[in-house]
Amino acid sequence: MSQNEVHSGTGVGRREGRPDDRDVASGGSAVSGVEIRLEEVSKRYPGQALPAVESVTMTIPAGNTVALVGPSGCGKTTTMKMINRLIEPSSGRITIGGEDAHSLHPDQLRRRIGYAIQQVGLFPHMTVGENVGVVPGLIGWRSGRVADRVDEMLDLVGLDPAEYRDRFPRQLSGGQQQRVGVARALAADPPVLLMDEPFGAVDPITRGNLQDELLRLQAELGKTIVFVTHDFDEAVKLGDRIAVLGPRSTILQYDTPEAILANPADDTVAGFVGAGAKLKQLALLRVRDVELGEVPTARVDEAPEDFRRRLTDGRSQFGLVLDARRRPVRLVSAVELRGVTSLRNAGRPVVDTVSPASTLHDALEAILTDDEGVAVVAKSRGEYAGVVGIDTVMATIRALRAEHEGSADEETPS
Amino acid sequence: MSFWEYVGSRWEQLLVDSYLHTSAVVQTTLVATVIGVLVGVAVYRSPIGSTVATALTSAILTIPSFALLGLLIPVLGLGVRPTVTALVLYALLPIVRNTIVGLSTVDPSVRDAARGIGMSRLGVLTRVELRLAWPAVLAGMRVSTQMLMGIAAIAAYAKGPGLGNLIFSGLQRVGGANAINAAVAGTLGVVLLALLLDAAYVLLGRLTMPRGIR
Amino acid sequence: MSTAFTTESGSLRVERLRLLIQPAAVLVLVVGVLAWVFSLDLDDIEQRSINARTIALLTWEHVQITFVVTAIVVVVAVPLGVVLTRRWAKPAAPAVLAVANIGQAAPSVGLLVLFFLFTKQTGFWTAVLPTAFYALLPVLRNTMVGLGQVDRSLVEAGRGIGMSASSVLRRIELPLAVPYILAGLRTALVLAVGVATLAVLVNGGGLGVLIDTGYKLRRTPVLVVGAVLSVALALLVDWLGAMAEQLLGPRGLR
Repeated sequence: MSQNEVHSGTGVGRREGRPDDRDVASGGSAVSGVEIRLEEVSKRYPGQALPAVESVTMTIPAGNTVALVGPSGCGKTTTMKMINRLIEPSSGRITIGGEDAHSLHPDQLRRRIGYAIQQVGLFPHMTVGENVGVVPGLIGWRSGRVADRVDEMLDLVGLDPAEYRDRFPRQLSGGQQQRVGVARALAADPPVLLMDEPFGAVDPITRGNLQDELLRLQAELGKTIVFVTHDFDEAVKLGDRIAVLGPRSTILQYDTPEAILANPADDTVAGFVGAGAKLKQLALLRVRDVELGEVPTARVDEAPEDFRRRLTDGRSQFGLVLDARRRPVRLVSAVELRGVTSLRNAGRPVVDTVSPASTLHDALEAILTDDEGVAVVAKSRGEYAGVVGIDTVMATIRALRAEHEGSADEETPS
Repeated sequence: MSFWEYVGSRWEQLLVDSYLHTSAVVQTTLVATVIGVLVGVAVYRSPIGSTVATALTSAILTIPSFALLGLLIPVLGLGVRPTVTALVLYALLPIVRNTIVGLSTVDPSVRDAARGIGMSRLGVLTRVELRLAWPAVLAGMRVSTQMLMGIAAIAAYAKGPGLGNLIFSGLQRVGGANAINAAVAGTLGVVLLALLLDAAYVLLGRLTMPRGIR
Repeated sequence: MSTAFTTESGSLRVERLRLLIQPAAVLVLVVGVLAWVFSLDLDDIEQRSINARTIALLTWEHVQITFVVTAIVVVVAVPLGVVLTRRWAKPAAPAVLAVANIGQAAPSVGLLVLFFLFTKQTGFWTAVLPTAFYALLPVLRNTMVGLGQVDRSLVEAGRGIGMSASSVLRRIELPLAVPYILAGLRTALVLAVGVATLAVLVNGGGLGVLIDTGYKLRRTPVLVVGAVLSVALALLVDWLGAMAEQLLGPRGLR
């Protein structure tokens, strides 16, 4: 696990995330993860006729996100927990960065593997900051360094350290708790991150946001992520590769989302992929793949009248008010600016933004629920990037359809 | 001699007895807490172990204190030793029971997460589970202390220390000038100290309860 | 998590185990201690205490004290608990509970001795009355808690179908509170059987007589027989309380 040392700090310059291609591993410089190999790994429980996991062999490339999907009870969680030895394999070998997981003390091993679970499992008696600082503390960092790291991590997952550091978990919403859970998992900068349905217990909107955040984080950090989910759409959205698992964790298909959608290995996989596989490919396109629109912007302390004039001069229907950190806070039309004294509370608040890593599907949803028919795009840490309008999405859909009609003959129907 | 005159003339003795009474109860509660928590930690993962430990300690509590003291006298003699032994035994059930309940109601996902991020077993126990079980343990200690205050009074029968001596001396000097005064002082003293200790527990709870789970 | 004195473990498993083991333990204790003591070479003083007639008599006295105390407790505490949970009497509840709480914080031996010193009486009732006061609280508190936890909507439903307030109490509230009352009763039984060992201090009889005699005359066999039989009787009485909880609780709630 010596590759561990290569990382750190490389994310800052690449905040915009991966380029168009989904293959970060080949991108190289941002990868801080290491390769995980499972070789004929099995788990048998005494007194049970069939093994829970039967002879799984797979390679998870460094810096990739691999989603393990399958019906509940198929052994995907067991498979994942064998990587950090919360469950000891009965046979087979697991290497992490070339090192045999079995050669390490389980506690030492786990301190180098981030772990985030559906129930979050934050320590209720510790503050948010203490929760995030646990693993750095365990591996013996100085307290000053831990404190810095805690703030850095909270910032990374989009929580203001000053506001949240000293809160207790019960004072947070489900989504915020999950962010803290991810921050805790990443705090000691582990090359590998295991996530067991981490977004399974939050509402759909929050889940979408958290997924976007994870994509953004991963673009910065380049960890090796093993992500367990039963939601195929989530796997498509997050995974560089997807392993569709059957009973006893047997691998039915292990490939890129595009390949699985276009060409399911068998009927079981096809059934799991579900109807509308073609449409789901929409979910493979990201906001960053399309050209963003521009609208006039103003800083929150600008005079409302100046902004109104700019809007009417530019014949723009509306504009965005940004705060000091260039985060969009309010959306206003020229009419709404008449007679107001401050931009701080003009128009209406910007509630929901999408990120460059969001899928077009998410953007479309945001557009449909927005009065002005746009989705505001914010970069990492909330900075304004542009807007996506309905026209842009329609154009993309048309292009996509044309492309698929052209290649339909070559595809294998399921 | 009125009661207040009695108290005025004997206040030094009363203070000594109160101190000895309280100190015996507090110390035995602490010993019982150490034993009780260790027993709880040892058994809480095993349903059978928990059942046996709880059944045994609750059977102990069923034993009349006068009888237990009587049984201890031939073995341990008189005075402090049978007193301390009896008090520790009686204090066990509430603490063992509450430790087991406290530890077994820790959210499994919290335990899973703690193991998953690489805390050692001992670390999970001391830094997570016992912290979360502490309110329950403290509640058990509180019940035990209240019980022991009364039981300790009986220990004076076996020449144990504390306010029980006043009660028994009242009994022995029946008809004497200060018989009632002594018994009243002993009984009221126990009630008063019990209330004070209870208040101390409330304060201790405030001070030691982790803020995040209060 | 328990915050009050009770010998109950709070777990069904444990209760089942005790239901089986406790009578066996009682049998072993009684047979064991009697077999042991009658095999000894007893001197005159010991023989005066340890003979079948005396032991039977003292045990019977002990049982009498225990059950009379319990009967008084039930007769006083349950109606009092009912009254204190009625809407018009609720303001008085905290005061009554506070008195009862202090009563239980008082040492049982102190109450016993004080009652004797003030009344200048000895005997059965001098032992019974202060013990009953001491054992009152668990039943009172559990009656109030038991009635308090009855779902308000059930009471309203009862009134809604035309039941009178008293028949709602009789047919809905009390039956639902029975498990709590029985739990309090079991605690009262255990307290009563324990304090009854102290009855000897006020010449009230019971197995405490053997303990006291053995201690004062330095006759260990007498002391041990008294103590072990008290333990056995306490376990038996607790077991009876547990059986009552099992058998008398409403079936629908079991």
